[in-house]
Amino acid sequence: MERQLRSVRRHDTAAADVTPWKIRMRRVSAVSREGLEELSKSRTATLGGIMIVFLFVVALLTPVLATHDPIKPDYRDRLAPISSEHYFGTDKFGRDIYSRVLYGGQRTIAISVAAVAFGLAIGIPFGILSGYFGGRVDAVGMRFVDGLLAFPGLLLYLLIVTLSREWKLEGFWNDAILVFALGFAFMPEVARLARGAALVEARKEYVEASHVIGEHRFSVAMRQILPNCVSPLIVNATVRLGYMILIIAALSFLGLGTPPPTPDWGADLNVARDHMEQHPMIAIFPGLAICFSVLAFNLFGDGLRDILDPRTAER
Amino acid sequence: MLVYVLNRILQLIPVVFVLSVLVFGFVHALPGDVIDSLAGDEAAEDPEVRAALEKEFGLDQPIYVQYAVWAGKVLQGDFGKSLVTRRPVSVELLERIPATVYLAVVGIGLSMPIAVPLGTIAAIRRNTPTDYAAQISSLIGISIPEFWFAILCIMLFSLHLGWLPSSGYVSPLDDLGLSLTYLVLPALAIGFRQAAYTTRLTRSSMLDEVHKEYVDTARSLGLPERKIIYKYTLRNALIPTVTISGLQLANLLGGTVVLESIFSWPGIGLTIYQAIQLRDFPVIQAGVLVLGVMVVTINLLVDILYRFLNPRVGLS
Amino acid sequence: MSEEQKGSDAGRASLFSQSRREFLGTMAVAGGAATFGLPRMSRAQPKHGGTLRFATRVDGAGLDPHRNIVYYVSNPMAATTQGLLDIDQKMEIVPGVAEEWDISDDLKTYTFRLRKDVEFHNGRTVDAEAVKWNLERMMDPATSHAFTRASLEDVESIEVDDKYTVRVRLLQPSAVFLGNVIYYPVNLIAPDSVDQADTHPIGCGPFKFVSWKKYAKTELVRFENYFESDEFGNRLPYLDAIEFFPKREDQVRLTALRTGEVDLIENMAFSDVTNFKQSYASEFQTWDVPQVGSGHLNINVKSGPFAMDAPDGKLLRQAVAHAIDKEAIHQAVFEGLAYTLKGYYSEASPWHMPGIRNEKEYDPEKSRSILRKLNMENLPIAVVSRQAFEYMQNTAELVHSMLLDAGFKATNEVFDNPVLRQKYANNDWGIDSTATSYRFEPDGWYSRWILSTAAENELRVGYKNEQVDKLIIEARGTRDRNKRLELYTEVESLVNDDAALIYTHAVPLTSAGTRRLKGYQPAFAGPYSIAGGGIRTAHFEESA
Repeated sequence: MERQLRSVRRHDTAAADVTPWKIRMRRVSAVSREGLEELSKSRTATLGGIMIVFLFVVALLTPVLATHDPIKPDYRDRLAPISSEHYFGTDKFGRDIYSRVLYGGQRTIAISVAAVAFGLAIGIPFGILSGYFGGRVDAVGMRFVDGLLAFPGLLLYLLIVTLSREWKLEGFWNDAILVFALGFAFMPEVARLARGAALVEARKEYVEASHVIGEHRFSVAMRQILPNCVSPLIVNATVRLGYMILIIAALSFLGLGTPPPTPDWGADLNVARDHMEQHPMIAIFPGLAICFSVLAFNLFGDGLRDILDPRTAER
Repeated sequence: MLVYVLNRILQLIPVVFVLSVLVFGFVHALPGDVIDSLAGDEAAEDPEVRAALEKEFGLDQPIYVQYAVWAGKVLQGDFGKSLVTRRPVSVELLERIPATVYLAVVGIGLSMPIAVPLGTIAAIRRNTPTDYAAQISSLIGISIPEFWFAILCIMLFSLHLGWLPSSGYVSPLDDLGLSLTYLVLPALAIGFRQAAYTTRLTRSSMLDEVHKEYVDTARSLGLPERKIIYKYTLRNALIPTVTISGLQLANLLGGTVVLESIFSWPGIGLTIYQAIQLRDFPVIQAGVLVLGVMVVTINLLVDILYRFLNPRVGLS
Repeated sequence: MSEEQKGSDAGRASLFSQSRREFLGTMAVAGGAATFGLPRMSRAQPKHGGTLRFATRVDGAGLDPHRNIVYYVSNPMAATTQGLLDIDQKMEIVPGVAEEWDISDDLKTYTFRLRKDVEFHNGRTVDAEAVKWNLERMMDPATSHAFTRASLEDVESIEVDDKYTVRVRLLQPSAVFLGNVIYYPVNLIAPDSVDQADTHPIGCGPFKFVSWKKYAKTELVRFENYFESDEFGNRLPYLDAIEFFPKREDQVRLTALRTGEVDLIENMAFSDVTNFKQSYASEFQTWDVPQVGSGHLNINVKSGPFAMDAPDGKLLRQAVAHAIDKEAIHQAVFEGLAYTLKGYYSEASPWHMPGIRNEKEYDPEKSRSILRKLNMENLPIAVVSRQAFEYMQNTAELVHSMLLDAGFKATNEVFDNPVLRQKYANNDWGIDSTATSYRFEPDGWYSRWILSTAAENELRVGYKNEQVDKLIIEARGTRDRNKRLELYTEVESLVNDDAALIYTHAVPLTSAGTRRLKGYQPAFAGPYSIAGGGIRTAHFEESA
């Protein structure tokens, strides 16, 4: 979705780039300085922010809040209903769903955040350098990005995740590979976005000025241009965090998600679908957890957009 | 305009080339090959047999030679044969791509008549319960995991209400009426999510328009509010909605894997997914390449349409 | 070949063909009585007609029955072809396309006499030439699947004696070769149709191929000249046509049955079976298909601490075996529907061996004490399983936690088939939750998995026990069934003690269908290659 928005907007140079950079700077700094105040003006951002804070707090407190070992099965106590022992009941292996949802959340959020961060970390320099240097570098770089963007839907994810299965996977590295795959597939959008902003900024006076005073080109690109294209990236990344959670769930459904027994919302929801009729509770809690977090990131992203991007502002 | 269009078309050539290299690279980097996957759960192939099969499939050549051979054939319109079914890939693609396009187009088509009025009303009655209801329902629409929503749909509409068949596919060319009954549930599952996107988009572009100067001018000229909204604002607000729906369509071409799998819909997404599992290289390569070309073409058309509808955008 | 020998085999065959007809009658009546819960009564003749809509879990990969392996009991193409011989509901090998056979005294020559009235779907007669051509094509690596080839690896040559007599010479004595020419792995197709094997295969089974729309639908119609007939002299099969719909999702398949979109489904989710049987008995019937596959845990004994030649390998493997709580797997993975195994064959199988010894009981304390004694606590072990089968993954998941419990440092990973096979080849795995199926003839299991020279064993497990090898080869040359059972009992007891391979459960398989469907009883081979049963005798009750 965001990708489409961008790709239309990227040709809509008039609208996207007409805002003077000073105003943009002011807007960005407003967020950093008076961030909370600014955010609280947007009802959606406030609500989303509260939900996200809740998610992060719960994720951090998971070891305290959890009541059971999330991977310890007990077949004598399988498919148990909600009780004071098991707040959300138990799954088909007799594991405590409440604890699994907590640990799964910790993991899901960590992976989404890491994947988005990774996507930004490779996409932003790629895009900015491409836009800044222009010419042949830009042409080659952008054709690469366009080629990646032409993979429709989930196909790029499917290919990369299947590909990465070859590598030795254990514990942390397993998650790292998922992060890599999700982040890499996010990269082209980021690069596009960053490049669009960089193209405009590169022609601005201040960049010229820094040339004149002899700053190194690379550092100019990163130091001067980056802050000016941050706002659309923030919005995009926030909404993307929610989308990542859904992609992880879809990959789990297709058998490419987290290997068991690691708690994972998508995988747990996927496994629970066999019991949907008799024991709907198993599916409901991880399902709601996914909805809640995606909603939180979307709300917050919407709110941020109101503040940062006047074009789609809701005023 | 014409120069612009021609220029854009020329730009597609390197993109498609890069896409072909990327997909070829990805595919050949996949762990294992079709010989392993055809061996299945049991029965190891001995080395001579493996060597013979690799030769037959051309897998024994250096990768760049394989690419050159493949690309050369593709340029002549020959996608080769599936290593699994041993039928021409083009035949398989011609069976599957229309099924996915059919699903995606109807899914998006279903979403529009719901989403556009909903988004418009939400924008007009901003910050009222109607607006909140529209916003919340559309946010829920994009927050539910697709496969979960699809299974819930089947349980509700098929199992409990008995209104619709649960899954399956009938070609519209064989029996349009029957085909549509099979289409409704998967299209609904797509449409719900699309409607959520479109509602949000329509709402925000309506809000954009409502605050533009011409609206004030029109008001000051005494034009009725209704006329302003429906004649001018909505029309302008629909430009991004329509164009982005076009882009959504492109994205859906490979994005319906999960739904195709649940609804037993023999589409291209499912085919490519299965081909990845089986390491059926020619099918993956041709599938992704053809879809990619469709994606960039749709993107181009949308771009041109956007410029056509919105002449303010420069033809840089 | 002695006259006596020849006579007894011919006699056996005719006995079977006679008993087959009686058997068919009783089965049909028994089936009817069971489904209605009514007293035994005389049965009306089944009428031809009707289209069966059958939702299956998977779709075939390709059409050529030699090149593609038909793993699943549900693969539609299985109804279009059959082997030289059939099996019956009790897993006995019975006459089919070949009505009689002789086995030479030295067990190296098998002579099959074919029925004269069997045709391929294109009208060509199934004669000795056609059988020879088929077997040879199945032995050619360029045109066949390795699994099929493995079943014919003993074949030295195939000769045509006369139009309806085919003689197979073996490289080494085998009393078990009959088991290798039944449907699956052997599927006969018309030699003059080889060009269309990938697009429109021509078999000789009860149903003719019409069309295949991958992932959507397979259509078959009745082969009007199919050679089998029922007790009233009516030609089988009864159904006019079968439409197969691959529906991957268990829930969707079941929903399709409940809403009347299909008449028959297979591979019900284990979690649905018990409740469905209780709640919907009035509308739907269910069939438990016995002994389709057996689940087992393989330990990598080619290298590493568990290896056959590692100093404490055996003890460590036994520590693994003691850590496995089969009851937990039985309940949590199979919902209490499976048979817990001590050997390959469950008590539902005619090859069940009650005397198997040395099964390692569940005793994690014992495992821990072994690890302590060897000073190998926290020994790493990688549990792996295959993506395509949920029960394998679920079993692996539990095994992983059991091994952690017993003091191993276990990891758990799920791979798709090509990656897993690479891991086997690179010895990059520890314990594999897997299963094997279609072993109607036990030699197909022991010779192709347990024997140290078996390809699959060499690639994967690396199990090697000379005594076991000797027993398997001895059993292969033994005609007496009871003697073979004794030998195999000994093999299994040794296998259990070596603990390179731990049997877990016979995988349950349940089909469900509308009550209107009669005469359908899937058996060991699933619905298809049952002489006088399965899909061949299925028919619809006439609407009143």
